[in-house]
Amino acid sequence: MSRPRQSHIRAGIFWTLCGIALVLIIAPALDIIVSILAHALPVLKPSLITETTSGTQLGLQNAILGTLALSLGVLVVAGSIGVLAGLYLSEFAPRRVASVARFFSEVLAGVPSIVVGYVGYLVLVNKGGLGLHYSLLAGVIALSALILPYIVKTTELAFSSVPRALREGAIALGMSRGKTIRKVLLPPALPGIVSGLVLALAISTGETAPLLFTAGFSDKNPSGLLQPVGYLTNVTYTDIQLPGASTQAVAYAAAGVTVLLVLLLIFLGRRVTMSSRRMIARMDV
Amino acid sequence: MRTGLMGGIAVFGALAVVACGGSSTPAATSSSSGTPAPAATGNPTTAVSLTESGSTLLLPFLQELVTPLTTQYSNITLAPSGGGSGKGITDAIAGNSLMGGTDAYMSPAQFTANQTLANIPIAVSAQGVWFNLPGITSLKLDGDVLAKIYSGTITKWNDPAIAALNSGVTLPATTIIPLVRQGSAGDTFLFTSFLSATSSTWSNGPGFGTTVSWPKVSGEGSASSNPGMVAACKTGCIAYIGVSASAAAQTAGLGEAMLENKSGAFLTPTPTTVAAAVTAGAASIPSNLALSLIYQDGAQSYPIVNFEYLVVNTTQSSTDDALAIRTFLEWTIDPNGGSQSTYLAKDNFVGLQASVPASVLSAIQAKIASITG
Amino acid sequence: MISARAGKVDAGRARHRLSSSELTFGDRVLRAISGVASVVPTAILVVIAVVMFITALPSIIFSGLSFFTGSVFSFGNLYATTTVTHNGVAAPPHAVYGVLPLIVGTLSTSIIALVLAVPISVGGVLMLSEIIPRKISDSLGVFLELLAGIPSVVFGLWGVAVFGPFLAAHIFPPLSALGHVIPFFKGPVGQGQGLLTASLVLAVMIIPIVASTTRELVRRVPILAKEGALALGMTRYETVRVVTIPYIRTGIVAASLLGWARALGETIAVLLIIGDIYSVPSNAYGNTSTIAAWIASTLDGAFGDTTGAGIHALAELGLLLLAISLLTNFAGRLVVRKVSGGVLPVGRGV
Repeated sequence: MSRPRQSHIRAGIFWTLCGIALVLIIAPALDIIVSILAHALPVLKPSLITETTSGTQLGLQNAILGTLALSLGVLVVAGSIGVLAGLYLSEFAPRRVASVARFFSEVLAGVPSIVVGYVGYLVLVNKGGLGLHYSLLAGVIALSALILPYIVKTTELAFSSVPRALREGAIALGMSRGKTIRKVLLPPALPGIVSGLVLALAISTGETAPLLFTAGFSDKNPSGLLQPVGYLTNVTYTDIQLPGASTQAVAYAAAGVTVLLVLLLIFLGRRVTMSSRRMIARMDV
Repeated sequence: MRTGLMGGIAVFGALAVVACGGSSTPAATSSSSGTPAPAATGNPTTAVSLTESGSTLLLPFLQELVTPLTTQYSNITLAPSGGGSGKGITDAIAGNSLMGGTDAYMSPAQFTANQTLANIPIAVSAQGVWFNLPGITSLKLDGDVLAKIYSGTITKWNDPAIAALNSGVTLPATTIIPLVRQGSAGDTFLFTSFLSATSSTWSNGPGFGTTVSWPKVSGEGSASSNPGMVAACKTGCIAYIGVSASAAAQTAGLGEAMLENKSGAFLTPTPTTVAAAVTAGAASIPSNLALSLIYQDGAQSYPIVNFEYLVVNTTQSSTDDALAIRTFLEWTIDPNGGSQSTYLAKDNFVGLQASVPASVLSAIQAKIASITG
Repeated sequence: MISARAGKVDAGRARHRLSSSELTFGDRVLRAISGVASVVPTAILVVIAVVMFITALPSIIFSGLSFFTGSVFSFGNLYATTTVTHNGVAAPPHAVYGVLPLIVGTLSTSIIALVLAVPISVGGVLMLSEIIPRKISDSLGVFLELLAGIPSVVFGLWGVAVFGPFLAAHIFPPLSALGHVIPFFKGPVGQGQGLLTASLVLAVMIIPIVASTTRELVRRVPILAKEGALALGMTRYETVRVVTIPYIRTGIVAASLLGWARALGETIAVLLIIGDIYSVPSNAYGNTSTIAAWIASTLDGAFGDTTGAGIHALAELGLLLLAISLLTNFAGRLVVRKVSGGVLPVGRGV
């Protein structure tokens, strides 16, 4: 067989396999979303947003607001610490230190979510620890501990992937480290940082185990950092175990709203990265 | 001297009631059996949120009670959540919840470790055994056969032991697939208690508890909840399912087993057979109210019945909390209050006062009265 | 091979050329603050490890080595009025803690999940970025991030209700034909719960992590390098093979490590699908459990053990998983070093 022919066949096989891979990624996502919607259909009414989970109501207002409060808290806590940490590992840390810090961060990612939750219970909630009781704050801390490694890793990758030419230009101009980071490295790194934040927030929105022992649950809207808080994944996790068609439907409705919130996150993230991409295009590298 | 002592106790008791009963107006929570309500109850002066966590079996019933409770007592709000019976008890001990819901009474060790904790029955539940054999809607089974099925000794539906109980029924040669509940479950506690009561091999082996070390049976499956058990029960399966999911099991086309009780009768859980078990067993209720209603005497007694408990700390830190808890508990077991059939129906429970003898009711109410703040 | 032999210094390390004496005050403040931040993950890990170790200690003393070799796990009779003492530690009668089935279950599900997820992620991302037009690929890319946000309990439910039965009806029967060659795949096929289904769902769950990161890496491949390859007459396939993949290779391993971590620690989804039966399955479709799933499902029961032995045993189990995570991460880093061969292509650094 002639060489171009061989190459064509190999290329054909390769791209077919890649195509199958893409289908294998998209098909489950589509299937899950369709099943969630199908099961949630019976209770998709405006009362989902206007009522709370209290008693026999089929509302999700408190759970939605609680999930948003938790996500905001996680963004503030894990987002700030994670981005700063990733920045340090990429720009300031001596090689050895960076290697060790990175290693431990990855190991943290491997701790089961239930263990993070239970340690959170012992350290944050219980009287033997900080004694915060079941609260929004304890939930935020536990969730942040869980997803911090993802933010650190993706931020570090984003910064260190900035092309060399840009760095050398900054050196040539005699810019200080801080200025280099802010003006030269941040714009091209921002899409990567934001996509990492979105990924981490998405994962945290879908978590249940770390919150079961830290955030408690509440039928009321979030009322304070030290008060227990309701959240969507708890509604899904608990209601799916209860008998009754309407409660089962609420469980799926909560799952559906969770996915919608994640979609919102994704689109917000894209907005932010869109403007940085324009800036990079102008930089012509 | 004795009169003086009695007088002193009376005075002390009165002072205690005044101190803890505080600013409450005794409400008329009369029970239908004519026994006067001894506990001081009423609407507290400040808003109290009755946090509850624990059993997911109890949860739907409690959710039903939220609105009518606040309608009756404007300052009391019930805030129930799930998490499992073990967590409920732990939360009540640690003070993270005011009440812990549990399907299993506390263990002797738990009572010893927490002297001020009480488990208070508020309703009666039961458990059915269901199976999936197309064409067969009812089967007679006993505890010994069930123990052998769950041990892997009996593997086929047409086993002689099953056929002996069901003459006239053609049993298929299908493999039996036993289903168990994952993790810790009140339903596992009930089912294994029944197996332990009827089979000495089981009692000396896996025993009973909210979790047990299930013997290895080929093809065994599991589910995480009662509705999950219903959904997982495919052809050939057998499963233990709480009565709260009986309707779902029925709709799914599963057949209900008739279980042999101590007197030899084969029964399914109905309000009559459940109440009969309570009446038979409640007579021997201990002072800490931790009572098993499994495999009781009585021709009409269904063998797998249990009290649903709320675990409460009898020494509360605030008078209003104690008042709210006492009021809620009294109201819940009142057939005109929380134990109306519409609320009980959510979980297929049987009302407490409808089934316990008056002496037991007094004991329960006395326990409620002992909650002080 | 289009990569610069940059020796010990590459773009990621170009900053070392900036002499330290040129750090302004602002620089120093930034370095200090971000330095503290970088210690936080390690600090959290240390807190978790210490708390777990302290909680696990009684169990370590009680069970000794039989913890890792035993195949029976039981909290014992929690309603007994007596306790049993072994090595000076009290536990309920008949309590025994042996976790071998869980170790097998954890490692096998995570390995299968990773082996499937990485090629699928890389292949799918390459398809997205090289073949599919930009407009469509952006919208399809949403699915990647969406997958990450689906609650784990929903993955579990979907696995039990939809995916499992689908596999049991259409994929497992043909797979079991392989059983003649590989006994692992021999029937009976079951109804959809079990080891293989759980591994597949795990793979679906870690794909977004590996794929999102890979996507960012592919974006970073210098256009000049790719255009150069095309100018030399290479096809898109050859360009990918010669330029893109070597460039992102180390990054993929790093992303895989994160995916591996997620697989090890995934709790609720696995619990619902894997059947949570305490045994080492005889084939790919048997019910079993993993360390994380078992901790989650039995924690509530452990609370009922007033001797505390149940909680201590679960803490030891969690500690074991932490150790597994440490060891496998270490091994992974050695792989990274091998793969990159001491030479890092232009412009990237991990």
